[in-house]
Amino acid sequence: MIAFIKDNHDLMMQAYYDGELNPVSALEFERRLADDDALRTQYSRLLSLRSAVRSLRQYDVPLGLQARINSALNAEHPRQVERPRPRGWSFQALAAAAVFGAVISSFFMLTIDRRNLSQDVTRQVVASHIRSLLAPQPFDVASSDRHTVKPWFTSRLPESPPVIDLASQGFLLVGGRVDVVGHDPVATIVYRHAAHTVSLTTLRSSQSVSAQAIAGYNVRSWNDAAFTYIAVSDLPGDDLAAFERAFSAGSPAPEIK
Amino acid sequence: MFDEVFLPHMAEAYRLANWLTGNANDAEDIVQDAALRAFRGIKGFGAVNARAWSLTIVRNTAYSWLMKNRPKAVIFTEDLNPAEQQEIEHEGPQGTRIETPEEIVLFKANAKEVEQALARLPAHYREVIVLREITQLNYRDIAEVTNVPIGTVMSRLSRGRLLLLALLGDEK
Repeated sequence: MIAFIKDNHDLMMQAYYDGELNPVSALEFERRLADDDALRTQYSRLLSLRSAVRSLRQYDVPLGLQARINSALNAEHPRQVERPRPRGWSFQALAAAAVFGAVISSFFMLTIDRRNLSQDVTRQVVASHIRSLLAPQPFDVASSDRHTVKPWFTSRLPESPPVIDLASQGFLLVGGRVDVVGHDPVATIVYRHAAHTVSLTTLRSSQSVSAQAIAGYNVRSWNDAAFTYIAVSDLPGDDLAAFERAFSAGSPAPEIK
Repeated sequence: MFDEVFLPHMAEAYRLANWLTGNANDAEDIVQDAALRAFRGIKGFGAVNARAWSLTIVRNTAYSWLMKNRPKAVIFTEDLNPAEQQEIEHEGPQGTRIETPEEIVLFKANAKEVEQALARLPAHYREVIVLREITQLNYRDIAEVTNVPIGTVMSRLSRGRLLLLALLGDEK
């Protein structure tokens, strides 16, 4: 998962022990473990340390604490008690409203439908970004080399986007993954900017997605001739705009292989 | 929103506070204080990881509480004298020596010893070990809660564990 731990056997052992190695490195470590008695000894010490620490008595939340917290919160900010709404409507009015509603909604259905569709796509893209942040790593293929990432996409997807190295603009290419939007697998390129992860999902061209914030993430989208790009990140909007500029500027005219 | 974000993690929050302060009464005060802070700050919650967010608040509350009320109880590595720091940071008490089978089982320790050893660790090491082993967070969440890079989490875990092993070995 992290390149530098290759240089450090102890950290590698710890990462294996904590289940944080990727499958390939884990296998490699297991082979070494099988061959190396001293390493096995160290490893078994770690295992017994873990069982010792995990078997320590755990403190249970004292009974009164929850109540104390609730009353402290109430004192600070009295919560609003929801009252059931009085129902004073007549059936006539209800029926009229229903008919009116049906007529109006049929008018707007088409427009709303289209809007919802693009909104839905955006939500799925943001959900993929969040899911990737919760996974041990936000990408399926880790590489800062676009010549690794691009072929990886090409071998999996009918159309693969341009993969551009933006390290000089401050956006480090870290890898790629395949997300699923609707029922279609799509390519997502993953960049890092300081401690922030940027997911750049590429869809078939000419979908319009407005810049917005969903669940605390900023979303920014643009098109070129071949793709619609949706960038999702916890970066501020300005930085995402800078990312768009960098990516568009770096975008080669159709890539020649 | 507060009910969904902070409250589900109360038990873990309380345990963490307990381990960081070593005192049940302090832990109660800290969790209560942290709950208030969380409640006030709920708008700043970015909807990513409620658990890490809640534990971060508890951890920070615990440290500021300790700094205020029992400054001597918080030892960070920077506070150790240079020789001690050297020992922890570089040599690692285990060095490269190879343990004998007797040493491996030596800390089939009684729980009290383990608890005391954990309490004696400098705060930086204790917190990552508690977050990893007791709260069972992954590296990324530990990094978020303790506000250091993942690499630092890894090296602190590694050194903290070695130090803990050494403390347990010494006490026999």
